Amino acid sequence: MKDSLGRTIRVLRMGRSTRERLNGAPREAGEVHSAYARTLNLLWHDGRLLTLHGPGPLLAPFAAAVDHLPGGLGPGMRAWREGEKIRLGPFLLGWEQGAAVETRLRPEEDGARLLLTVLASSRPAPPAAGLFSPGGRTAQRRLDHGIRERDARAFVEGAAGLIGLGEGLTPAGDDCLVGALAVLSRHAATWLAEHAEVRTALASASERGTTTLGREFLLHALGGSFSEPILRLIQARSAAEAVEGIEDLGRMGASSGADTLWGMRLALEALSP
Amino acid sequence: MSPETIRSLVKPSAYQDSVTLLLLARQLRSGPGVVEAAALMATPSNRDLLEQSGLLTAEAAKAGSNDLVIAVRAESAAAAAVALAESEAFLGAKRKRLEDSGRALPRTLESARRHLPGANLALISVPGAFAALEAKKALRLGLHVMLFSDNVGLEDEVALKGLAVQKGLLMMGPDCGTAILNGVPLGFANAVPRGRIGLVSASGTGLQQVTALLASQGEGVSQAIGVGGRDLSEAVGGLMTFQALDALAADPTTEIIVMIGKPPAPAVRARVEARLRAAGKPCVLALLGQGVKEGRDATVHAVATLEDAAWAALAMLEGRPYIPQPFSIPAMELRECVEEFCRALRREDGAVRALYAGGTLAHEAVLILEPLLGPIATNLRPGSGGRHRVTDLGADEYTVGRAHPMLDATVRVEEIRKAAQDPDVAVILLDVVLGHGAAPDPAGDVAAAIEAARATAKMAGRGLAVVASVIGTAGDPQDLAAQCARLEAAGVWVLPSNAQAVRAAACIAGGEPVLARLLEGRP
Repeated sequence: MKDSLGRTIRVLRMGRSTRERLNGAPREAGEVHSAYARTLNLLWHDGRLLTLHGPGPLLAPFAAAVDHLPGGLGPGMRAWREGEKIRLGPFLLGWEQGAAVETRLRPEEDGARLLLTVLASSRPAPPAAGLFSPGGRTAQRRLDHGIRERDARAFVEGAAGLIGLGEGLTPAGDDCLVGALAVLSRHAATWLAEHAEVRTALASASERGTTTLGREFLLHALGGSFSEPILRLIQARSAAEAVEGIEDLGRMGASSGADTLWGMRLALEALSP
Repeated sequence: MSPETIRSLVKPSAYQDSVTLLLLARQLRSGPGVVEAAALMATPSNRDLLEQSGLLTAEAAKAGSNDLVIAVRAESAAAAAVALAESEAFLGAKRKRLEDSGRALPRTLESARRHLPGANLALISVPGAFAALEAKKALRLGLHVMLFSDNVGLEDEVALKGLAVQKGLLMMGPDCGTAILNGVPLGFANAVPRGRIGLVSASGTGLQQVTALLASQGEGVSQAIGVGGRDLSEAVGGLMTFQALDALAADPTTEIIVMIGKPPAPAVRARVEARLRAAGKPCVLALLGQGVKEGRDATVHAVATLEDAAWAALAMLEGRPYIPQPFSIPAMELRECVEEFCRALRREDGAVRALYAGGTLAHEAVLILEPLLGPIATNLRPGSGGRHRVTDLGADEYTVGRAHPMLDATVRVEEIRKAAQDPDVAVILLDVVLGHGAAPDPAGDVAAAIEAARATAKMAGRGLAVVASVIGTAGDPQDLAAQCARLEAAGVWVLPSNAQAVRAAACIAGGEPVLARLLEGRP
């Protein structure tokens, strides 16, 4: 696919919904939101983010892994649809041969005990300090109560207290909440489905309550979609898979992985009888 | 009015990862004249955090969730401006710095060990839930551990100390704030010379008080080993105390051993005393508790206060007997001071309000005050009551979400203000703790509040005495003499030890009967 100038970028893997968004892009597809050494975030025409990163597991449910990341792109640079490609400055992004993977979590009532056991005996890096601020502690207690008692109101109050809280590219509280939502999407999906108000309230709270990137992760989590490291961990079938998953997730970001694991553990403990 | 300046820098749509922001905040806080600093995305939750920390500017309040806020509270506008300019340089230089160094900052104990292969001790300060795991990892790597973190479970503590004993390592803590090993101060510790006295302590500020007093007489420390406040409990059984005592017994530079703590569980106490006697060196035992008897046998001298521990150890070194004295200033001079303060109160008696940063110093205050003034209300002993009150401001209820009072005087300043408004309060009693890790100007942090409190009382037609001890040495970064002078300029009576400050407060509040009782040596 690479053209002679080496300026064609090939998508290797993407979520199914990401493929649909690429397929459905209009002429004015979007613009560069932020550019880093390892990721390029595009603000898509639908008002949501679409992230490109290098080869490997999808680090966000709204990401596409590409064979190489284009350099020299900056915020505000427009993305145009050109046939079956997206033009980003001098680069052309092609996705037709990329593999579409499922980023939605499969609900399953069993299996929580295995993950909790492995998580409790693992040694992940410490989560960010912001989670241990007074507001962070209160929010976690409320979240725990909401899950334990299946009290949607308490859950929303706790979750709202975590949104946008703490350090980082995605604030620590967002990562923690995404971890908790992953556990609930897997092991308490029925309860979540019965309480549509949770999704509505948290989607609303995230609108101004956190960073654009943090909000994107939350909205996907509320819809049951997660990054591949989270999916692999939470769908682990054996202790060995779970241990490997914890190590993989723990390496994500500066503290994002650790914060997500913290939220997972909180939810698993609250769900355990 | 506070002379401090708050400035902020808002960087729209600027994302930085947690490590960068933490490093930046740490660098800012260590800058000259900077009191507090933060670097966070300006989400509503984080703006609340900034407001709670006194760092929210109007500019930051208007920032959006995708904006990075760097906020600084400094002693002057110039210091704040310098700090913010440095933050720009930090962010700009970050990538280059990492590339030039050819390595990333270690994120795990294992990688830190690779960067520093000669290290033999890990100082761990992470949230309690993870502290035990990190400590275990360090012990397995063959490192001694100083575990600064609290909120570590008792079972974890026993398991960690058991592992340390098996491996012949020190497991100091959890909740260990002070140690001095091979002359290196760890955590909150004072600048003391190397010397002949080795200490084992279940109390951080207790250890600071004793070592600072020794330093004031030119004597130094061979090793000062913290063991954590629960080590002498029945559950832990003194595992690390025994390990530390054995280490000091075997240490050729240690001539005298001083042990500091609260009274152990009875079963543990007998073993502690036996181990002290078997150490083969003279020992001083300072167990601060009601009913603990002072006395001396062939090798162990039991004392009642931290000050007595220091002076008894010195006396042992010099081969002379030690007789405790309530004050180090002559009786005549003491009486004049007390009478002057009492006259200024313009009343017969009044209550003592003790506001402590050091938990053990507060505990010692209760033990000294209660026999002199009657029942003491204190948060150290739930359910206690009395006219006089001793508050440990380092207790959990005062430190949730904020720094310890040895670092942040906000809570103490507020309590001083409240005490000044209470017509029953005649004496405010304080400790001011200096040393590495402590606030850069602890006396300055409370001096203005003390002056305001005395003015408040005066306007209400009352007097208000303020008595303090400064725990520090001439070598401390805060400058002991300057700290004492700052307090004295605010009208504070500064005494050389906590025990003496407590007794002085009791004399002012209780008047002649208490003074006479102390001077006559009646218990």
